[in-house]
Amino acid sequence: MGHLTLRGVRLAIGERTLLDAIDLDVRPGELVAIVGPNGVGKTTLLRATAAFVPPAAGQILIDGAELSTRSRSERARAVTLIGGNVEAPHGMSVREVVVTGRFAHRAWWDWMVGDSDLFAADAALERVALGPLRDRPFDTLSSGERQRAWLALALAQDARVMLLDEPTSHLDARYAVEILTLLLDLARDGRAVVTVLHDLNEAAAIADRIAVLGQGTLLAYDKPATALDPAILERAFGIAFDRVSLDGGTRVLARGPRSPRYPTDLPQAPSAGH
Amino acid sequence: MFTNATRLIALALAAGAALALGVFVGGAPLAPGDVAYALLHPHAAGDANAIVWSLRVPRVAIAAVVGIALAVAGFLLQGMLRNPLVDPFLTGVSAGAGAAIAIAVAAGVAAPFVPALGFISGLGTALLVALLARRGSGIDAERLILAGVSLTALFAAIVALVLTRLARNGSDEILAWLAGSLAGRGWNELGWAAPYALAGLALALLTVPSLNALRLGSAIARAIGVDVVRAQWMLLASATLLTAAAVSLSGTIGFVGLIVPHLARRVVGTDGRIALVASAFIGATLVPLADALSRSLFPPIEIPLGVLLAFIGVPTFLYLYLRPAGATRLWGT
Repeated sequence: MGHLTLRGVRLAIGERTLLDAIDLDVRPGELVAIVGPNGVGKTTLLRATAAFVPPAAGQILIDGAELSTRSRSERARAVTLIGGNVEAPHGMSVREVVVTGRFAHRAWWDWMVGDSDLFAADAALERVALGPLRDRPFDTLSSGERQRAWLALALAQDARVMLLDEPTSHLDARYAVEILTLLLDLARDGRAVVTVLHDLNEAAAIADRIAVLGQGTLLAYDKPATALDPAILERAFGIAFDRVSLDGGTRVLARGPRSPRYPTDLPQAPSAGH
Repeated sequence: MFTNATRLIALALAAGAALALGVFVGGAPLAPGDVAYALLHPHAAGDANAIVWSLRVPRVAIAAVVGIALAVAGFLLQGMLRNPLVDPFLTGVSAGAGAAIAIAVAAGVAAPFVPALGFISGLGTALLVALLARRGSGIDAERLILAGVSLTALFAAIVALVLTRLARNGSDEILAWLAGSLAGRGWNELGWAAPYALAGLALALLTVPSLNALRLGSAIARAIGVDVVRAQWMLLASATLLTAAAVSLSGTIGFVGLIVPHLARRVVGTDGRIALVASAFIGATLVPLADALSRSLFPPIEIPLGVLLAFIGVPTFLYLYLRPAGATRLWGT
């Protein structure tokens, strides 16, 4: 089980407040997508949730206990964060990489990788369908396979809350769907899964709830159909969106120069970074 | 097809052979039988016995300690900074030690105190580099490299100044330190430096699991529960102790700390737990072997150990890494 709660969290870099008044509740078995413009603080929010950086204010709780009061290895057994664009390690097999995820299950000075560690790693590799590739050098894997291997590492780590930063950013449509399906699957085991996604429609396709970040705060946190409201997205991204309904699901389209309804009557869009 | 256990055993045997060779060859012509007799009868009287027990054995032991210390220190720093071009002298240890030794010799400090001054100055320099490299509570790899390179240049300038303007006598001794040599070292020096080398090694063994996890990058390492900051400081402390102990014994022996970790990873792969042990064995092979050569190639002249190691090591290294099929392992897969 994994239950993640953020209460009144404020994140600051130095004196500058990045995000304020963030309240999130991610229940066990739930998959939540975080969306928002570049530079809004999505990655920083994940890093704070993984206790990499302390929040400037507010509380971050996992299963009711505040993370900052836990030991480092207790934290690693509660929450993990798989970042985007992780560099592939050289000279390691897939299995070696995944079994390293067991670090927090041993004393930090303990050299031995035990049978239980190998068992957990192999089970994780089976779960992400990389069993047959476990002895391959990690850097020979395709992008999609690498992403699955990082998920296997997180599985071997056995954290109840899984945080992912743009896990589909370098993947083509097929591999992206594969990873997202896997994430949903992992959530349904009882974990709380939170993923930053770039693509609003990927978020709409898999998330139970979507958190829209913009203008320094949480603009919406709701089911996709509600959270992906064009007015909210306009506030977040500073451009106009159209919402379409597709067999009961919600999809959104950003308006561009060739969209039917362009130009918009919005004021000039503020620069969104990058 | 060899397993890593077989490879480690082979490396251990190679180290044993190199140590034995070091005891059996030397400037004084001793029959192998006499050497063997002396080894088996440590308390017997005679010239052979004196040569073996007060000259050759301590010297070989020192060569092994220096080899192990530099190889392990290089391995730790390359792993910590994820940079294969790093060597143990990057932290300024040897430059700081060299400057202190040059000044001490020029000032006429009694010989027994010179290595200790080098050791202390080496540690102090490394500490200064680490403080300069601090970012937040951790250590920034790029800052560490910049600070190390800068302070090394500064101390090299001090040594050059001492050599060119101040050292009326003693410049030979200073040069011997800079070129790296084991000539004249014995039990006293070993007894003095070995505890620091052992402490460094113990710290290294404790930190290896974290170093192993750092192979995945500091972001993943943190996510899986590694205390990255503690690991960095422990690795740096360990590498510094090992390097300072080695430098105070042998002077500046370059290249061992750069090449041996590469060889070790070639032979056994990148798992730090195995590669660290392999590095130690290769270091304990290479330095005693080179020292035996330096004593026996042109007796009674000794070629400086650091020079000889570079002559042998550089072509080997270039061959291994610059040939077209450079990515293959040494001993199959």
